[in-house]
Amino acid sequence: MNESRASRLDLIVTPAIGLLLAVLLFVVWNYSDMDPTTERILEPANLARQLQQQLILAFWSTLLVIIVAIPLGIMVTRGGARGLKNTMVGFLGLMQAIPAYGLIVLFFVWLGQGATTVILALAAFSLLPVLRNTIVGIEQVDPSVIESGKGMGMTPVQRLARIELPLSVPVIISGIRTATVITVGMGALAFLIGGGGLGETINAGLKLNRPTAIFVGAALVALVALAFDFAGALAQRYLHPKGL
Amino acid sequence: MSGIESWFEYLSKRWDLVASTLLETLGYVVSVTVAAAIVAITVGVLTRNRAFPRELSLAIASVFLTIPSLALFTIFIPVVGLGFWPSFIALFLYALLPILRNTVTGLQGVDSSIVESAKGMGMTRLQILFKVELPLAWPVILAGIRVSAMLTVGISAIATLVAGGGLGDFIKSGLARLPLPNSLEAIWTGVILSLLLALAIDSSMRGLGRLTTSAGVRS
Amino acid sequence: MNAHDLDPLHEPRALIELVNVEKTYPGAEQPAVRDLSLAVREGEILVLVGPSGCGKSTTLRLINRMIEPTSGSIIFEGADVTNTDPNKLRRQIGYVIQQIGLFPHRTIAENIGTVPRLLKWDKKKTAARVNEMLELVGMDPSIYGPRYPRELSGGQAQRVGVARALAADPDVLLMDEPFGAIDPITRDRLQNEFLRLQAELKKTIVFVTHDIDEAVKMGDRIAILREQSIIAQIDRPEVILTDPADDFVENFLGSGAILKTLTLNRVRDLDLAPVPPVLPGASRTQALAAVEESSSGVAILLDAQEHPVRWVDRRSLDNAAKPIEQAGRSVNVMLQPEDTLQDALSAMLQTSTGMSVVVDGRGRYLGCVTIESLASLLVQTQNGAA
Repeated sequence: MNESRASRLDLIVTPAIGLLLAVLLFVVWNYSDMDPTTERILEPANLARQLQQQLILAFWSTLLVIIVAIPLGIMVTRGGARGLKNTMVGFLGLMQAIPAYGLIVLFFVWLGQGATTVILALAAFSLLPVLRNTIVGIEQVDPSVIESGKGMGMTPVQRLARIELPLSVPVIISGIRTATVITVGMGALAFLIGGGGLGETINAGLKLNRPTAIFVGAALVALVALAFDFAGALAQRYLHPKGL
Repeated sequence: MSGIESWFEYLSKRWDLVASTLLETLGYVVSVTVAAAIVAITVGVLTRNRAFPRELSLAIASVFLTIPSLALFTIFIPVVGLGFWPSFIALFLYALLPILRNTVTGLQGVDSSIVESAKGMGMTRLQILFKVELPLAWPVILAGIRVSAMLTVGISAIATLVAGGGLGDFIKSGLARLPLPNSLEAIWTGVILSLLLALAIDSSMRGLGRLTTSAGVRS
Repeated sequence: MNAHDLDPLHEPRALIELVNVEKTYPGAEQPAVRDLSLAVREGEILVLVGPSGCGKSTTLRLINRMIEPTSGSIIFEGADVTNTDPNKLRRQIGYVIQQIGLFPHRTIAENIGTVPRLLKWDKKKTAARVNEMLELVGMDPSIYGPRYPRELSGGQAQRVGVARALAADPDVLLMDEPFGAIDPITRDRLQNEFLRLQAELKKTIVFVTHDIDEAVKMGDRIAILREQSIIAQIDRPEVILTDPADDFVENFLGSGAILKTLTLNRVRDLDLAPVPPVLPGASRTQALAAVEESSSGVAILLDAQEHPVRWVDRRSLDNAAKPIEQAGRSVNVMLQPEDTLQDALSAMLQTSTGMSVVVDGRGRYLGCVTIESLASLLVQTQNGAA
């Protein structure tokens, strides 16, 4: 949820904590006494299905966010759309103050049960980071660089494609990374409206009072989020334009 | 009956419940923000001149914020049980980063020549910290505290899933009773009161910022 | 005086013309540029200079239509380009700005190749041109071509900026305070390099600066602008310095306008004084003979590479016990033909004789210049200008 982590330790600390969690999970999985109920909840086939559901939800919602937010960000940074930009960022900011839990339930009320509902709710919640970073990324490009491109006779489209977008790639990717982590994590709430996901395991553990199941579900959700965050950090490092 | 009217009617019949859940959420906000502020500011101050521990604590705090809320709220249940504590711990861990990051930024933003001149006038390190560095960094630190407080309001809605109470109770009970009468009103109550509480905290913290910031560094 | 008043027969053709150009920004009451007519002649450096806010940058940016004029027309190479495709126009005009604006995500070679690629040159031709341009500005293409802009010093970045502007071989170069953000020593060197380049390339250049010293140094002609880009005076620098049109120009030139004429001329314009060299290995008698022959009573001792090393006169050669390699005083300050008279004056003031040694680019002895020759050239300049 925070996109300005410049720390180089990111690439070490995230996997380190992930590893710690994985070891803990391994120990609990192998050495705790599981009653039949816990074992039924933690059926590997179930877990795999839930994980798959959650990743599919995250994939489509992130894709939706990218398809919507980047063009939107480009649009509102063209001259003459300043007012629109502030209104939109303000509105989405307010929307982020809505609890994720409440938002997903409201979407359910409006759109009914189904994967589409979950995807739209996740997308709505993670639209802002990508949109904001697209705007910030484009606006932080040194005006003199754009000016010199214009002075050399680049058309507006050429300036966008060859200067503004390549120079905002790092910031935009950082926004996409944030959005991915949000959608992957929030997918755990999909169970609330019948959307599946690893939240089901946690929920079953809570309902049936099985702390081991709760822990395994929670640790898996956390590990998935950490893995995606780490992949994002790697992408940021290696997709970074050379000259910057 | 229109939606808004029925919502007000719903509220008017449940003032006690509204007040107690609101207080529970507010309790989370206050306790979590105070605890996180104490820890994060202390860490920020202690590591202000040491790059490695500073970056390390920032990296760790940011990992917490990466962990999905449902996971962080439930992962401590095997150790601390249900109710207030798992919620408090999760919210506390989330609230660390904004305050820590702003403490670091704020302290690093203090012009080194000001610290140098304070040293030159014979101030001790503690005097420099409390009379120069912290007052100058305070607006930034307070902004971090404000972000953490608002974050806590939003995320604490999950607490209801681990029997931790708060405004999320309305959302949970509404969802459970859909589509019975008053279920929608309950959901809206949880969402709108959370939103209003966040806005109220935002503006009151901004007011607090103006009151506690030296006129010389107010923007 | 106005450019249009000059005899058209002796005037090179105007490559760019602004005709009654006016620019009023939306919401502004006063125009930023008021009814400006200006002709830039082929092959000249025309410097636009004036106090900040006088509209000189706006004027420059009107030429390549970075800013669109409210009224009036822009003539480029005889054609009215006021309403043509501005991008096409800009690809034919080099443009250098103070911040340079190199593309940080592209290599130096890619930066320089920008306009050639926009003009759809093929890769081979572009690459050859890029190398040529880098060599032109004195940078090794194999070293600097693959680097990124952040690896360059300020001076190098500025050189690349100039190379990039010249890459598609435009006839015209617009330069907006190109050396404004560079430290004084590097700036001086870049100015000299650029003048040397221009002597070769003979581009038509419009150059904006707020620094009158730079204007005098760089300009074939200077246009002094007052607010709303109204031309207070436009003429050759020596005329402006010696005969300012009005109080505004005089105030803008500031005190020491005469001293500024020192930057107009170069050491090569001075007559060399006959100070004889003494070759290495010469005997004391030969050295004394050289001193006798010299009208100024001194001679210059050279080393094997013809580098001047010591000043000797009769008295310093008296002591027979001292080898002549240690006689006299060492030569500390040396001038080159491209140095300005300002440099020459300061060098002369450091020697007791009021004389300074001139060497060529490899440090070989050419002769000496005296304070008298400098004074007489100044008098000539003023007489010629008036």
